[in-house]
Amino acid sequence: MNNRLKVLRAERNWSQADLAEQLGVSRQTVNALETGRYDPSLPLAFRIARVFAQPIESIFTED
Amino acid sequence: MNASLETPRTSLLRKAALFVFLGLLGGFVGYGVSILMGDIQTIWQDELAVLMSVVTIATGLIGAFVVATRPSTVPKGCGILQVVVMLLAGTMLLLPMFGTAVATPEVIFGAVVILLVLQSTANLMLWRTADEMLRRVMLETSAMAFWALQLCLFVYAAAERLGLVDTVSGWGLMGILMGVYFIASIIAAARRGLH
Repeated sequence: MNNRLKVLRAERNWSQADLAEQLGVSRQTVNALETGRYDPSLPLAFRIARVFAQPIESIFTED
Repeated sequence: MNASLETPRTSLLRKAALFVFLGLLGGFVGYGVSILMGDIQTIWQDELAVLMSVVTIATGLIGAFVVATRPSTVPKGCGILQVVVMLLAGTMLLLPMFGTAVATPEVIFGAVVILLVLQSTANLMLWRTADEMLRRVMLETSAMAFWALQLCLFVYAAAERLGLVDTVSGWGLMGILMGVYFIASIIAAARRGLH
């Protein structure tokens, strides 16, 4: 699965640690999400969508 | 919010300090093991257990160094719990081999059981504290280790039943289990970019 996490984070000038704190996960998890090494669970995907105030499908897309 | 988009890269000085720390750690561990094992006629099962214990304790100490130098608030307490789990596991492996020099086998066995309860509690707390990716890594480690070990156990058991190989003691099997689990954890962590 592809995602726009890095772009969205860059637009807000947030570090990985900043985003990790808002999502309640480790910085390593944010890094793994951004590099495509880990696909989030549905609850985490919803939290990500809430943090960026965007629908899930505009953040995550199929390969 | 932090203006930096990327997590700050580790400075050269900090990297050098880490290498010095690891070098000193390796030196102390090597010296300690040579003192402990110097005059003892060892069997491979004990050598494997010592190796796994040293690797586990060293990993725990490196984890402690990382927690101290790059503290993370999320997930809260996760790093410290990982360190505790590693150090207790390494100590538990050493006790049956070297503990009898200072206490009776019954006392040492009691100490091992107490440490096992503490370590299991810390492991459970770690599971409850961890975020979803760390839990996934733990699950994948367990699955990989189980698959590899049950495969190897079957092959070994069949060969042993046929009288083709010697019997391996429970202590030896424990050392092998620890080794396989450690390799599985490295693979599972590397797949998620954890290092």
